[in-house]
Amino acid sequence: MSGKDKVKVGEKMLSVRISRFNPADQSAPKIKEYSVKVHEGARVLDVLKAVRDTLDPTLLFRHCCGAGQCGSCALKVNGEPRLACMTEAADGMLLEPLDLPVIRDLVTDIGKYLKEMPYLVPACEECAGSDGSDASSSGSCSCACSCSFAMPSKEETAEMKPLRDCIECLCCVSVCPAVKVTDFAGPTYMRQEMRLALDPRDCDKDRIIGITEKGLFNCTTCQACVLACPKSIKIPGKAIEKLRILANREGLTLPRHKEVAGLVKTTGRSVQPLPDRKGLIESIDEVLEPYGDVKGEVGFFTGCLYDLRMQSTALDAIEVLRRNGIRIITPKEQVCCGSPLIRTGQTAIVPELMKKNIDCFVKHGIKTVMTVCAGCGSTLKNDYDTPFEVKDINEILTAIDIEKPEKIGLKIAYHDPCHLLRGQGIREQPRRLLRLITDDFVEMPSECCGSGGGVKSGNPAEAEAIGKLRGEEIKESGCDIVATSCPFCEIHVGSVTDKPVRNINTLLVEGYRKKDAKNAENASVKNAPQEQ
Amino acid sequence: MLADNVTDCHVLVVGSGGAGCRAAVEAAKYGDVILLSRSVTGKGGCTTMAEGGYNAVLNPKDSCSSHFEDTIRGGAYLNDRELVKILVEEAPERFADLMNWGAVFDLSCDCDGFEGTHPAQRHFGGQKFNRTCYSGDRTGHEIMATLMEKVRGGDIRIIQEVTVIDLLTETLSGGEVRVCGAVGLDRDGNMIVLRCDAVVLATGGTGQIYDVCTNCATGNGQGYAMAYRAGAELIDMEMVQFHPTGAVYPYDARGRLITEAVRGEGGYLKNSRGERFMAKYDPERMELSTRDVVARSIATEIAEGRGTDKGGVYLDVTHLGAAVIEERLPMMLAQLLNFGVDIRKEPMEVAPTAHHMMGGLRITPECRTTIKGLFACGEVTGGIHGANRLGGNSLADTQVFGKRAGEFAGKSVMHRALMNSPAIVGQLAAEELRFNRFLNGSDSIAEIKERLRKTMWENVGIFRTAEELETALAEIEELSEMTPKADSPAVLAECCVLEDMLTVAALVVRGALLREESRGAHVRKDIVQDWTPETSPYGHTYQSIYREGIEKAGAEDISAEGAGKGGNVQ
Ligand SMILES: Cc1cc2nc3c(=O)[nH]c(=O)nc-3n(C[C@H](O)[C@H](O)[C@H](O)COP(=O)(O)OP(=O)(O)OC[C@H]3O[C@@H](n4cnc5c(N)ncnc54)[C@H](O)[C@@H]3O)c2cc1C
Ligand code: SF4
Ligand code: SF4
Ligand code: FES
Repeated sequence: MSGKDKVKVGEKMLSVRISRFNPADQSAPKIKEYSVKVHEGARVLDVLKAVRDTLDPTLLFRHCCGAGQCGSCALKVNGEPRLACMTEAADGMLLEPLDLPVIRDLVTDIGKYLKEMPYLVPACEECAGSDGSDASSSGSCSCACSCSFAMPSKEETAEMKPLRDCIECLCCVSVCPAVKVTDFAGPTYMRQEMRLALDPRDCDKDRIIGITEKGLFNCTTCQACVLACPKSIKIPGKAIEKLRILANREGLTLPRHKEVAGLVKTTGRSVQPLPDRKGLIESIDEVLEPYGDVKGEVGFFTGCLYDLRMQSTALDAIEVLRRNGIRIITPKEQVCCGSPLIRTGQTAIVPELMKKNIDCFVKHGIKTVMTVCAGCGSTLKNDYDTPFEVKDINEILTAIDIEKPEKIGLKIAYHDPCHLLRGQGIREQPRRLLRLITDDFVEMPSECCGSGGGVKSGNPAEAEAIGKLRGEEIKESGCDIVATSCPFCEIHVGSVTDKPVRNINTLLVEGYRKKDAKNAENASVKNAPQEQ
Repeated sequence: MLADNVTDCHVLVVGSGGAGCRAAVEAAKYGDVILLSRSVTGKGGCTTMAEGGYNAVLNPKDSCSSHFEDTIRGGAYLNDRELVKILVEEAPERFADLMNWGAVFDLSCDCDGFEGTHPAQRHFGGQKFNRTCYSGDRTGHEIMATLMEKVRGGDIRIIQEVTVIDLLTETLSGGEVRVCGAVGLDRDGNMIVLRCDAVVLATGGTGQIYDVCTNCATGNGQGYAMAYRAGAELIDMEMVQFHPTGAVYPYDARGRLITEAVRGEGGYLKNSRGERFMAKYDPERMELSTRDVVARSIATEIAEGRGTDKGGVYLDVTHLGAAVIEERLPMMLAQLLNFGVDIRKEPMEVAPTAHHMMGGLRITPECRTTIKGLFACGEVTGGIHGANRLGGNSLADTQVFGKRAGEFAGKSVMHRALMNSPAIVGQLAAEELRFNRFLNGSDSIAEIKERLRKTMWENVGIFRTAEELETALAEIEELSEMTPKADSPAVLAECCVLEDMLTVAALVVRGALLREESRGAHVRKDIVQDWTPETSPYGHTYQSIYREGIEKAGAEDISAEGAGKGGNVQ
C-alpha cells in the first residue's frame, strides 16, 4: 500500500513493516509493508498515525502523551523495545508488539500486569495525623494501628526518586528471561517493591516475605531490563540486589546461597577446590613474561572459577596474552570478587574482600587489572571503587594488534555473556576476535543463558528452563560451535546444547596451533629436498 | 435494542487523570465505584504530563488570602470566588493526603519560615510567594503514581480502554432530568452500558481541537460535549490558555511544551533580528512576564514578520553556559537533543501553543453540575481559574475538587435506573443509528479533524475578531454536516470523538462571540473597551442546550441547581 499525495518540502516517504494481528481471525501475526508520507523528524508514533490516517484506519496501537511520560506506546522497533513517541523513525524499520500477550496489532495486555503492581499501605489516618475530618474511614484501619508514621527524609527521598521515574511501559518485563520461564513477578514489580521498602510511610510489615514469594531470587541479574528501560532505571542493582539484602536480614536467603557465603568466608573462594587438581594461582608463577618483547603489562584477576575449576581455559588466555607480548602478574593474595554475595544480598563481608583484592594489586604497582571472567569484570567495574583501571581481556586484545591465527573452518556463533554485554558494554570486541578465527560467524539474539545472579545454584530448575530457550536459539543459528567469554556461561551453555562451547581464547589458541603446525609443515616441506 | 454488556455501580467515574483517580478513591468510601477511562488506567490524560508543580500554602509565612488574591488577579476577576476559596484552603490538605499516601516530592530544609525538613516550593508566574511544590520536573507523574497506588490498593473496579460516548439520562417524575449512567465503546467497537446513581465526569481538557497544542491524545474535550448534550450548562468556554513556549520543530512535535523554567532560569526571547523584543511589551518583567502577555508578544512578533523561518521566535539559553544548562535544565536538554537541537550551543525555536481550558462545566462547591446525578472535577469544570489559570493551580484543582466530587457523588442516594425504561431504550437506539451513520459514512476522520484544528488555530487563537470567529463557526458547521467514515466497528469511537470535538469547538467559538471584551486569555481585537478586568460589566458566559448568554458582573452566583431545569429556556 502507498500514500498517494505529492511529497512536499519538509516531507518524505518512508516504508515501514508492521506486525498485524487479530486473534479473532488469525492464528499468527503477519508482517505488512506500508509506504507513507511523513514529516521530517517524524517519530515512530507519527508514522503509525500516518498509516492509520491515510492507509488503514483499523491499525491498532497505543499512545497518549506523545512525550515519553505515560508509557503507553512501547513496542519493538527492529526487535528492540522502544517508546514509539521518542524514537526517530527510520526507513525500512520493523514494528512489532512487545513480547507480552498481544491483544491486537501492536497492543499488548499491559493492564493485567499493572493491576498486580504493589502499592503503599498507608498508616491509618489517626497515625498519619491527616486532616481528621474524615470520620467515615476511622475504625477500618488497615494496619491495626501498629503503624509508625514518619515522612521520608531527604536522603530516603533521594534514594526513592530514581526508582520512581518508572512510567510503567513494561519494556523491562517484555525482555526479562526470568519472567518467561518462572513465576517471577518481574523487574518493574521489584522496582516498585524496593521503592516501597525504602519508604518509612509504608505499613506493610510482611512486605519482604511476600517479595521472596514473588520470585525475588529468580532474577539472573542479566541487565536486559536496564538496557530496555527508557528511563534507564537500574533495577537489578538498585532494587533486586537491595531487596535481597533485606531478605537476608530476615533470614530469607536461599540455603544454597548461604552455603556459598560460608565458603567465601572461610576459604576466600566461592567454590571448593577439586581434589585432583591444583588451583591455577597456586600452579603458575606470580609473574609470567611474554614470549617476545614486552608490549604491555596486566594484573590478572582470575576469579574463583578460573582459579579452581576452569584452569585450562585460563591457561589458554595466558597463552594468548604471552604470545602477544603481555606480561601477566597474578597476585597470590587475591580472593573472590564478592559477586556471588552481592548478587544474592549477602554483603556483610564484601567490603573486606574488596579491600583484600584492591590491596594486593596496588602492592604490585599494577595500573591495569584484567579480568577474563565477565562476572568478576562487571563487579570490579561497577561495584568496586578501584585506584586502577579494570579491563576485560577482550578489550586488552583488541587494543593491540594481535597476531592473526589460522582460521578454523567452522561456523561459529557467539553467546554474549550478560555481564560482558550489558554489565560492561562490550559487544564488538569479542566479535572482532572471532572474525580472526572464522570466516563464518553467525549472530544469535543476545539472551541470558540463565546461570547468573545465583540462579544456577539457588534455582537450578529455572536456570535449566532459561537455558533450554537458549539451546533452541543455538540450534536455530545452525552453528558448529558456540564461542563465549565467561566461565559461568561456558559451563551452563555447555549443559543446554550438544554443540561444543568454547572460550574465545581457547579458539585463538587452537588457531595459533594450527598456524604453527602449518608453518612447521611448510618448513619441513621446504627442507625436504635438501634432506633427500 | 439493548446492549448485552450492562454493568451497575453506585458511582461511575469517567476519566483516570488526577481528578478522576482522586474522586474514585474518595467515592469508594461510600459504595462501589467504577473508574473508567479511554486509556489504560492512569496513563491517559494531561495530569501525567504536568511538569511544574502543585500550588499549596504550606509555609507559615504564606497565607491563603495571598494565594486567593493571586488566583483572582491572575484569573482577571472572572473566577468564582467561593470555588477559589475552597481551592486555596483545601490545597494543603489534599497535598497532605498525597504525602500520606506515599508521594515523593522534593524536600528542602533551608527555607525561611519553616522548621526542619519540608516540601520544597518554587516560584511560579503570577504569584507573590514561592508556593509551588514539585517533584523534579515530573510532578504530575508523581501525583499519578501516588494515586495509582491508592487506586490499586483500594476497592475500586477498573474499566480501561473504553471510550464514553454519551451520558444516559432519565426524566424524574417532577420533570427533572437525571444522569443515570453512560454508554461507551470498547476497543473493538462493542457497546458497553453502565448504570449508576451518580456520574463523576473527569475527562480533562480539550487542547486537541487546536492544530498546535500541548495536550495528550485524550484531550479532546469529550466531557464538555457529552455533558452539554445531556443538558448541563458550561461557562466561559472561550477561555483557552495559550502557553507562550511550545516547540515548533520537528513538525509532529509542534506545540509540545517547553517548560516555563527555561525562562525562569534566565532564557532570552529574541526575534529573527536578534532583538529581545519583550522590552517593547513588558520592559519591567521582560521574559518573566505572565503567560498571556508573553504569548501575545510572541504572536505579535511572528504576525508582523519578525519570526523565524519555521514560524517561531528564538528562546536562547546559550549565554547561561553549558554547566548551568546541564544542571538546571537536564530534561529540556535531553528532550531537545533527541530532536537534534543542542540548547547549549544554539537557541530553541518556540511559538505559542494551546494549553489549558479554563472554561467548562458550571459546578457548585459540591461539584454538582446543573443536572442531577452529574458531578464534575478537574479541567472539565469552569469557574475556578477565571479567565487565566496560574501555573500550579490545576494540579491542586484536580485534588481539591476530585475529592469533593467523589465525596458528594458517593453520598448521593441510591436509585438505580431501569435499563428497559423507554427513555434509555430510546437513547441506546439513537446510538445504534449514529453507529450506522458512521459505518455508512464517506468522509475521512483525519481530514475533518485536520480542517477543524486548522480553522480553530487560525481563527480562534490568541487574537480574535467577530469576523474570524464567524468564519470558524461556518467551517465547523460545514464539517458537522459531513459524516466521518468508520471502516470497522473499532473505529466508531474515533468518529464519536470527532463529533464531540466539533461540538466543543463550536462552544468555544460561541463563547468567544458572546464575550464582547478582552479579558485574561480572551482578546477581542475588534472591541474597544473602557474598562479593566476588575471593573468589567460582565461575568461568565454560559451555554447549554436550554440557554446561552453572558452574565452581568456580580451576578455570577446563579444557582447552579436551577439553571439546568427543563423549563429554563431563554
Ligand atoms: C504539558 C502540560 C503541563 C502541565 N503542567 C502543569 C503544572 O505544572 N501544574 C499544574 O497545576 N497544571 C499543569 N498542567 C495542567 C494540568 O495538568 C491539567 O489541567 C490537569 O492535570 C487535568 O487533570 P484532569 O484529571 O482534569 O484531566 P486529565 O489528567 O487530562 O485526565 C483525563 C482523563 O479522562 C479520560 N477521558 C477523556 N475522554 C474520555 C472519554 N470519552 N471516555 C473515557 N475516558 C475519557 C482520559 O483517558 C484521562 O484518563 C499541565 C498541562 C499540560 C498539558
Ligand atoms: S536483570 Fe534480567 S532477570 Fe533480572 S529482572 Fe532484569 S531482565 Fe529480569
Ligand atoms: S522500569 Fe523502565 S522499562 Fe520497566 S516499566 Fe518502568 S520505565 Fe518501563
Ligand atoms: S505516548 Fe506516552 S510515552 Fe509515548
